[in-house]
Amino acid sequence: MPEQTMKRRDFLKLATQGLLAAGGLLGLGGLLRFLSFQSEPAPAREINLGASIDYPIGTRKVVAEGQALLIHDEQGLRAISLTCTHLGCLVEEKESGFTCPCHGSMYTRDGAVLRGPATQALLTWQVEQSANGDLLLRRE
Amino acid sequence: MTLRRWIFAASLLLLLALLAAGWQESRRVQAVALTPTLTSEVEYCLSCHADLPEISPSHPIETFGCVLCHGGERLALDADLAHSTMRGGRNPSEFSVVEASCGGEQCHSGSPELNRDHIQRATTSIQSTYAGAIASIRYTFGAQSDLTPRYGVSAVQDKTVISSKAVPELLAFDSTNESSPWIQKFGENCLDCHLSAQPREGDTYARLSGCAACHTPTAGLDIAPGETQLHRLSTAINYSQCNTCHNRGNYDLRSMTFTERTDQPADRLHDYYQPIAQFVRCEWTLDCIDCHTRSEAMGDGDLYGSKKDIQYTQCRTCHGTPDELPLTYTITSLEDLALRQAFLNPVIDLKVGDTILMTEKGEPLWNIRPLEDGTYELFAKASGQRFIFRPVMSSGCLQNPEEQASSACHQCHAVER
Repeated sequence: MPEQTMKRRDFLKLATQGLLAAGGLLGLGGLLRFLSFQSEPAPAREINLGASIDYPIGTRKVVAEGQALLIHDEQGLRAISLTCTHLGCLVEEKESGFTCPCHGSMYTRDGAVLRGPATQALLTWQVEQSANGDLLLRRE
Repeated sequence: MTLRRWIFAASLLLLLALLAAGWQESRRVQAVALTPTLTSEVEYCLSCHADLPEISPSHPIETFGCVLCHGGERLALDADLAHSTMRGGRNPSEFSVVEASCGGEQCHSGSPELNRDHIQRATTSIQSTYAGAIASIRYTFGAQSDLTPRYGVSAVQDKTVISSKAVPELLAFDSTNESSPWIQKFGENCLDCHLSAQPREGDTYARLSGCAACHTPTAGLDIAPGETQLHRLSTAINYSQCNTCHNRGNYDLRSMTFTERTDQPADRLHDYYQPIAQFVRCEWTLDCIDCHTRSEAMGDGDLYGSKKDIQYTQCRTCHGTPDELPLTYTITSLEDLALRQAFLNPVIDLKVGDTILMTEKGEPLWNIRPLEDGTYELFAKASGQRFIFRPVMSSGCLQNPEEQASSACHQCHAVER
């Protein structure tokens, strides 16, 4: 059987094509990785809490995603931000209101300042009902 | 070389370059993102520093992150690049950068009225300026005609001088400008105790500088780079932290050198004071900050030339005199400074309506309150231990009412060693 040989020119051609293909694939992989990079999502400005009937009068529920406290009482629905207005720590709910564990700011149950260093009341979120009956929190 | 060979070589180089880039990428640390509430800007410091403990309950990482205080390149994953713009190296509380690191109206350079002027007070305090020692040495060796402070270890100004004993400005002391060889030697050998100085070598001197000199407990810790326990801030400061500067020996004015103490104290009684000093039980049982107030330790914002101008706590501050009980007041407002101090170091459950001791200057001794039986309870700020003590009044003390300085109390109450 005659021995099959490859010409040097053919080998170089094949090797070049192979190298270009491998390089192209690697480059494509890098490009895809670059394009698929997802930056940190911005904090949600609107949160869907689901059906409003799940939040009857008497509800006091922490909405972790929005760092807010949803309150449904005789005055209606409202939500108070749990972010301290001093430096942004998460306040804790106490019997008398809210206390910041970082620097000791205290707020009433309605979010008004009782003790500094915070000087501004806790912010509020808008609470709305969507057309399909879901409860929506909107950052003001 | 033919065109085909050029193409082959270029293809080979391209592949090698891509492989090298991929290899480099695979070695890169896995990015861990954090977006602090206060800055709302993502930072990747936790990619390498997730093992660091939270520095204090007042500085949670979710709120502050790292870059706000430390500086640095928040998006860099390469260590050298990330650290290239850090403030103060590993210590952002160095006084040269502390305003950028810890300042701000809502943080530590706010108004005196709101008791947020920590940086102004600390950087003008005599522990920072060393103005008293410098003035004293310059006066002794004839470089100035009186003991008025003119120089500090660095230039500093006080725009609102309150005390008649204070000066508005200190120039930067430079011993090479002095003609006296003794003052020059003082500059070379004796300026390693102020708050901006790097400590002397040795475990007993191990401390950081700036705010961290006092507020980062280092006693017994290895302060070499990488020591994660150094990532801590506290207002519960043990006496041993003060001892990294104090009670370590003496400056010998004859040779203008520091003479290290040579004794090997085995207990607190012998650890606390130099052999020549008189002291009473409070001083070797309690910690320095249990008696000395915030203004004594950190200054009151004025520039003084002697510790006697700022240090005023005496035995009578807590014990009263044969004729008078110590001063007290009842907390009536949630904004009272005592409540804030007790919040930061909760060794005592303090609330509005509680009566506590106060100094003659009106500073709250928030860790001490009178009891119904006429005694007083003190909660040690560093250990939380509860002590009960009596007032001098009705104790049978025979002290002359006109001699109420602590030195007079020491005549009877000093401890023999």
